Amino acid sequence: MRPDTWWIFTDVNFLRFFGAGLIQTMLLSVAAIALAFVVALVFALGRMSHRRWLRWPSIAYIETIRALPVLLLIVFFYIKGSSLLQPIFGPEFNLQPFWAGVLGLGLYTSAVLAEIIRAGILSLPRGQTEAARALGLSHVRAMRYVILPQGLRLMVPAMMSQLTTIIKDTSLVATIGVSDLLGQGRIIYNRYFNPIEVFLFVAVIYFVICFALSQASRRLELGNAPKAARAKIREIQLRDQAA
Amino acid sequence: MPGGIIFEFPQQYLYPDGLWTTIQLSVLGLIGSIVLGIVIALFRISPFLPLRWLGTAYVEFFRNTPLLVQLFFLFFALPALGIRFSDDAFVFNFRAAVLGIALYHAAYVAEVIRGGLLGVDRGQIEAARSLGLSYRQMLREVQLPQAVRSVIPPIGNIAIALAKNTALAKTIGVAELLAAGDYVEAATFRTVEAYVAVALLYLVLTLPMAAGVNWLEKRLLVAR
Repeated sequence: MRPDTWWIFTDVNFLRFFGAGLIQTMLLSVAAIALAFVVALVFALGRMSHRRWLRWPSIAYIETIRALPVLLLIVFFYIKGSSLLQPIFGPEFNLQPFWAGVLGLGLYTSAVLAEIIRAGILSLPRGQTEAARALGLSHVRAMRYVILPQGLRLMVPAMMSQLTTIIKDTSLVATIGVSDLLGQGRIIYNRYFNPIEVFLFVAVIYFVICFALSQASRRLELGNAPKAARAKIREIQLRDQAA
Repeated sequence: MPGGIIFEFPQQYLYPDGLWTTIQLSVLGLIGSIVLGIVIALFRISPFLPLRWLGTAYVEFFRNTPLLVQLFFLFFALPALGIRFSDDAFVFNFRAAVLGIALYHAAYVAEVIRGGLLGVDRGQIEAARSLGLSYRQMLREVQLPQAVRSVIPPIGNIAIALAKNTALAKTIGVAELLAAGDYVEAATFRTVEAYVAVALLYLVLTLPMAAGVNWLEKRLLVAR
C-alpha cells in the first residue's frame, strides 16, 4: 500500500506553495481578459463596420481564431512569441511563458468576446441608432455615447461566465511551464507521487472558484437581453467553451 | 505555400496520422458524451430526488473544473488506484483521453438535453400519462423524440468545441494533430510552417462543422 500523503494539505508551507500557484492563475486570467476585451472591442466594431476593408479582415480573424484550439495558440506563442516580438522590443527580448499564455488565451478569448459584444449590440433596437443619428451625432459618437454603453451593459453576465471559462483555460499554461495552480500541483506530484490527492485538491480549488463565479453570473442573469441575443450567447458559449 | 509542409514527410505520415487520431478522438468522445449525457439528463429530470442530486452534482463538478485537470487525474491517478485500461502505454493514453473528453463534454450535453426535455409541452406529458403510459414509456415514446429536434444544433456546437478540445490529449501523450505539429517543429525548426499546417488542418475539421451547424439551425428553426 502506498503511504498516503493527505497530511501535506494541512501543512502551511504546502498551502503557501499552492497559493502562489493560485495567484499566478488569477493574474493570468485578469491579464488575459483585459487583453481580450480591448482586442475584442476593435474586432467587434470592425465586423459591424460598413467599410469592406475593415469588415472582411475582422470576420476572417474572428472565425479563424474561434475555430482553433487554445492550446495551439499558447504553444505557438510559447515557441515563436519571442522572435515575433523582437522587432518591437529589441533583439534581446525573451517572451516569458506567462506572457505567452496571456497572449494565447487573450487572443482566443478576444474572438469569443467580439462575438458576444456583437450579439449585445445587434440586440439593441434599431431606433436607438436612428434616434442618435437623427439628433445629429456622427456614427462614431452614436456608437461611443449611445450604442456601446447599452450593448456592453447587456452583455456583462455573458462576459462573467466567459471569465469562468478563462480561469479553467489557464490550466493549459501548466503545459508550457508556468507555475500556475495546476503547474504547482504537478511539481508536488513529481516529488511525492501522490496523483490522487494532488489532482483532487487542485480540482476542488478550481471548482470552488468557477462554481462561485458561475452562480454569480447566473444571479445576474441575461434577463434584460432580448430572446434572440440570449440564444446567440448560448450558442457562442457552447461552441467556444474551451477546456 | 502555407501548409506545404504537410506533404513533405511522405514516409512518416505525421500530419495525416495526427489528423486521423484527432478524428477518432472526436468521434469516440462525442458518442461517449452523448450516451452519458442522455443518462445524466434523465437523472436530472427524474422524479426521484437522490438521482436528481447525483445528476446535478455531476454536471456542476465536471463543468467547473478544467478538462486538463480531469485528464491528468485519469492519466496519473487511475493507474495509482490500480485501474488500467490497457497494458499497452499508447492504447492506455488514447483510452484515458477518450474517457476524459467524454466525461467532460457529457456534462454540457446533459444540460442541453435537459433543456430540450423540459422544453416539451407539459400538456403532452400529462396527456401521455393519462392515456396510461408508464413514466418510462412516456419518456421513450413522447418526451425524448420531441426533444431531439431542438437538441441537435446545440449538440453540434458542443461537437465543435469537443473537436478543438481533443488537442489537450497531447499533454497525456496521445499523438494527435497538435502533437504531430510538435514533432515536425522539433525536427525541422520551421515553427511557423509547422503550426500553420496544424491550424489549417484544424480549420478543415471545424469550419465545415460550423457551417453544418448553422445550416441545421436555420432548417430546424423554420420547422419549429
